[in-house]
Amino acid sequence: MPKLIIDEREITVPEGTKVIDAAERMGIMIPRFCYHPALGAVGACRVCAVNCLDGPIKGIQMSCMIDAQDGMKVSTTDAEAVDFRKHVIEWLMLHHPHDCPVCDEGGHCLLQDLTVSGGHGVRRFQGPKRTHTDQHLGPLVRHEMNRCIQCYRCVRYYQEFTGYEDLGVMQIGSRVYYGRYRPGTLESPFSGNLIDICPTGVYTDKPSRYRGRRWDFERRPAVCLHCALGCHVTVSARYREVVRQEARFSESINGHFICDRGRYGFPYVNLPQRPRSARVDGTETGWEAALKTAGERLESVAWKTGPQGIAVVGSARCGLETQGMLKRVADAKGWQGPVLDIDPAAANVRTAVSRLDSDLQVSLREIETADCIVVVSADPLNEAPMLAPALRQARRNGARVTVIDPRPASLPFQFDHFPVAPDDLAAAMAILIRKCAEKEPLSELGKTAVRSIEAVSDGADIPDADGLAALYDDLHNSRRPVIVCGTHTAPPEIPGMAADLALLLRIAGPRAGLFYVMPGPNSFGAALLSDPAPSFGDLVSAIEKGEIKALVVAESDLFGSGIDWDRLRNAMNKLELLVTLDYIDSPTTRAAHILIPTLTSYETPSLLINNEGRVQQSPAAFRGGDPIARTGGGDHPPRAFRRDIPGREMGAAWTALLTLGGRDPGSAPVNLTAWLGEAHPALTSLPEASDFPPDGVRLPLAENAVERFQTDRFSHGEKEEDALTLLVVDRTFGTEELSSLSSILKELTPSPFIHIHPEDAAELGLSEGDAVGIDSEAGTTVLPINLTPEMARGVLVIPRRRDLDDRLPQERRTVLSKTAIRKATEDA
Amino acid sequence: MAETTDTAYPQVLFANRKLDRIAAIDDYRKNGGYEAIETVLKTFSPKDVQKLIQDSNLLGRGGAAFPAGMKLQTVADDAPFPRYIVCNADEMEPGTFKDRVLLHADPHLLIEGMLIDAYSARAEKGIVFIRPEYENAARILEREVAIAEKAGFLGKNILGSDFNFSIDVHRSGGRYICGEVTAQLNALEGKRPNPRKPPPYPTEFGLWGKPTVTQNVETLCCMPPILRNGAQWFKDLALTETGAGTKLYGISGRVKKPGCFELPMGVRLSEIIDEHAGGMAEGSEFKACLPGGASTRYLTREHYDIPMDFESLKAVGMRLGTAAIMVFDQSDCMVGVTHNLMEFFARESCGWCTPCREGIPYIKDILWRIENGLGEERFVPMLERECRHLWNAYCAFAPGAAAPLEGLLNDFQDEVLDHIREKKCPFKASV
Repeated sequence: MPKLIIDEREITVPEGTKVIDAAERMGIMIPRFCYHPALGAVGACRVCAVNCLDGPIKGIQMSCMIDAQDGMKVSTTDAEAVDFRKHVIEWLMLHHPHDCPVCDEGGHCLLQDLTVSGGHGVRRFQGPKRTHTDQHLGPLVRHEMNRCIQCYRCVRYYQEFTGYEDLGVMQIGSRVYYGRYRPGTLESPFSGNLIDICPTGVYTDKPSRYRGRRWDFERRPAVCLHCALGCHVTVSARYREVVRQEARFSESINGHFICDRGRYGFPYVNLPQRPRSARVDGTETGWEAALKTAGERLESVAWKTGPQGIAVVGSARCGLETQGMLKRVADAKGWQGPVLDIDPAAANVRTAVSRLDSDLQVSLREIETADCIVVVSADPLNEAPMLAPALRQARRNGARVTVIDPRPASLPFQFDHFPVAPDDLAAAMAILIRKCAEKEPLSELGKTAVRSIEAVSDGADIPDADGLAALYDDLHNSRRPVIVCGTHTAPPEIPGMAADLALLLRIAGPRAGLFYVMPGPNSFGAALLSDPAPSFGDLVSAIEKGEIKALVVAESDLFGSGIDWDRLRNAMNKLELLVTLDYIDSPTTRAAHILIPTLTSYETPSLLINNEGRVQQSPAAFRGGDPIARTGGGDHPPRAFRRDIPGREMGAAWTALLTLGGRDPGSAPVNLTAWLGEAHPALTSLPEASDFPPDGVRLPLAENAVERFQTDRFSHGEKEEDALTLLVVDRTFGTEELSSLSSILKELTPSPFIHIHPEDAAELGLSEGDAVGIDSEAGTTVLPINLTPEMARGVLVIPRRRDLDDRLPQERRTVLSKTAIRKATEDA
Repeated sequence: MAETTDTAYPQVLFANRKLDRIAAIDDYRKNGGYEAIETVLKTFSPKDVQKLIQDSNLLGRGGAAFPAGMKLQTVADDAPFPRYIVCNADEMEPGTFKDRVLLHADPHLLIEGMLIDAYSARAEKGIVFIRPEYENAARILEREVAIAEKAGFLGKNILGSDFNFSIDVHRSGGRYICGEVTAQLNALEGKRPNPRKPPPYPTEFGLWGKPTVTQNVETLCCMPPILRNGAQWFKDLALTETGAGTKLYGISGRVKKPGCFELPMGVRLSEIIDEHAGGMAEGSEFKACLPGGASTRYLTREHYDIPMDFESLKAVGMRLGTAAIMVFDQSDCMVGVTHNLMEFFARESCGWCTPCREGIPYIKDILWRIENGLGEERFVPMLERECRHLWNAYCAFAPGAAAPLEGLLNDFQDEVLDHIREKKCPFKASV
């Protein structure tokens, strides 16, 4: 622990701390442009110069390049250092266009701040300004190269940190240029971070250009809803619209960055189609009147059929408050449910939640420190985008990353891929588990475990079994192995087997971790609070049989449940009463007899449990209401002289449910925290809203010994000879429910196609680009095919596009006979 | 330049230089070529070689004058393998052409030098990083490397020993910064040639993270004679106490006979100009010279008799650099000369750090204004400030560029002020 003196004050810092960071700990902010904690020090900009007056290093030094050492005496205010720093600013401003008044960065620009605070005001250089051509970089990022100060942050972030190569640095000397070889849309799904990381306005947020200055915005912290990771964002709202989002630092989850889906998924909040007024049988009524009618009609159904004639449904995007309230109301009223996760992956998520022990939990940031990672049945880039850069950081630190998944895996770093067909995934896991059991005495595990392990097949007949066996040795010899397991398309035994493997590794020595990838931002909460008995499929059957007459659906689109749309429509038609509470326009809100609009997590605080079991609070960012652009009658600037907020006659879904449950809206406020504690033992010690730590709290997940090594072994039966498995999978853009409503991301959403292994295609007589028809329950789907050698044989993969859901098979995993697949042109 | 040096001084590096052709392997062997490596492989340990080179006081000839033996010794005994040696033949320092002459004179001298260097660093792979304009030399080297391989001096188990060594010739992408050792490593790895910041030093963490020893062509060529004749012999070749060996002096500018001469280290500047270069050109009077390429300060009349070795120049605040002497006479405008040099440096800056990328074009612009009659008195302190701050750049490039400017401001300030007062360049005939 070196002890040094900075500006006449002593400080002791950990070994390896840079002087710039040591000073920051003391509250001394040494100027910096190129230095960034996530990208490291490179000593390019030279603006962090200090004078080392005494000690092992002397003279003018860049404080980002020198480690704090014993006996150092550093001055940040030394005249020579200050003079040099001022001169660096003068140099950087030689060619800067001084276009702050029209630059979107103005007001939160590091260059602006340091130029003003450094006192540089007069340009003494008389030469001409250097100019560059800007490039079109796609719909998200605007490029203005003239503003560049050549700090190299963008390329270091883009190439080194996230591993994409289409943006780089070209030319030398004063012609250094950052951009693409040719103008075009940036390939990285993390490109929006360029906007945050650029210390000036070279990369600005394109969708929010000219929409406001930083000080115009209501800026609040929030938690991202567009996958289960729960990354931290900062929301900027203005004129009752969410205008832009930025990454917000989180020590445990996303670090400094977020993905583009998270950054640009927000427009659903502002959409004109968003339900803003309550409707009863198609007629607008007041919010409270609609709730009253809903309550009365539900009572009447209950009177006719008994309370079991009513069921309640939520989703993985509901906050914990809403999920908890659904449970409380259902329990109190004797209604069926709640079914809180209607996603086809719900059962997998439940297994995952039950198997995640406190000693196995790892955070997203902890994955960066792992040295051997096995990703099973997950597609990080598409299912939880920020997992991909976390895996890349582990890889950069020397970790081995292996993906065992049938899909054509793509990750921005070097990794091993075992393209194992879905039916063989269990056998592949069995190889690893058996190897583990071979090496370790099983006696410690007890009889159940031994039986369980012995029951798994030896998996010897799957392709590259030897490679998997060798992978086990790497896992066993690693210091910190992590098993990442998907739930979206995984066969039902995989989440449990992943936990078995992690536990066995832990017994064998290494500090093994387990990380589940889940579909929704609150899948975890849904799994904790759901009534385990009926699945959503069971509810639909009960509706078809006439046993359920009324459905209360909170913030959930039933048409994303994997159930065939025609069947679902027929079932809906049989309902006497459909009460839908939601903030998006969906087939379910359109089918509702009573529609209750609700507030989004931007407008009301919500608690969310991420995939790791971390409860986080997303505070309200603004008060909501109809965007002024639509209510101001075209005024410029928009004015609205009224006392209320139009389009805000609504509350959070949980308050509506409280009323539906029979509580008088005027009665005393409820203690939600206490109620959540009553709903599930894991939620008993949640902090009060005002005390919520920035990175949330990890749920205390007791070691659930009963569940250990009891993974159900599903028999897949004999493999059908002439069958193919069709997987409908997530894409980074276009699949997730809320972000698929984003107009900003439309351009980045690829048109749908079918991935097929070239050898399978050859057997079926298909070639690249052929339009292929697939017959399934949903009818015939016709899509072009894409020959992809890096995937499992016997599998068809269709990336799911939510807006085209009605054209695609609803089930995520279906077995098709080869005769169901044919060239569509033959029909024509 | 076409003729061999007509001098009584011993010719060590140019011993086999022919008037009309490149020395072949037989010419080289006839004069004791490849004897050194044979002796080394039989009787020397790598440490012995390092010590001998260290004792010979051989200083790096690329311009930085780092002791070659010491560089070899910084490769730790337990350093990982494979290790690399790189021959820096990216000769781009303005005015410098000695390596080119050497490569065309006696390629096997370099190959044997690399063998010795590699043996003492226990490296199995050598790379000649060569300037693309030296395509001829690159082809000659490739041809002669193949010949040496056939003769058993390169390849596996060289001369029956367990020493393996091979040489690749790599053409540079063609920028000045690629001559900087660490930038060169990045270039070889296929990356953008921005310099790296030591520590770790390349001898510890070089090419692809492995120990790498980079030496200049001339430095490597000194090694076989040292191994053959001993350290003391090499030291005795110099005329000064502090110097060692012979040196290739390249002289250009206002002299009668420009060329590249092998002379003892420490020969006086006056002797180089007056005797070897045939004296100043007709009607020319010595005004100043750059003693060792563009990155050195001007040497003025008062130092006309200075012994040209590293230490003597250092004693008066100068650098011998690459010993590429560019001579200016009374008709040369030093502002114009310096502006010309700045144009080169501004063009060749890699663009990594702010002082170099922005500071040098800044200086260039001011000098252009002064030279073209747009000068102002306030420009002088501005230039001084630029000069001072260039020293805080990332690598040695910007301080090198500052050297001639420092010379201009110190030794020719009157000339600068004349430009400003007269609002024109006094050396140009008025139009």
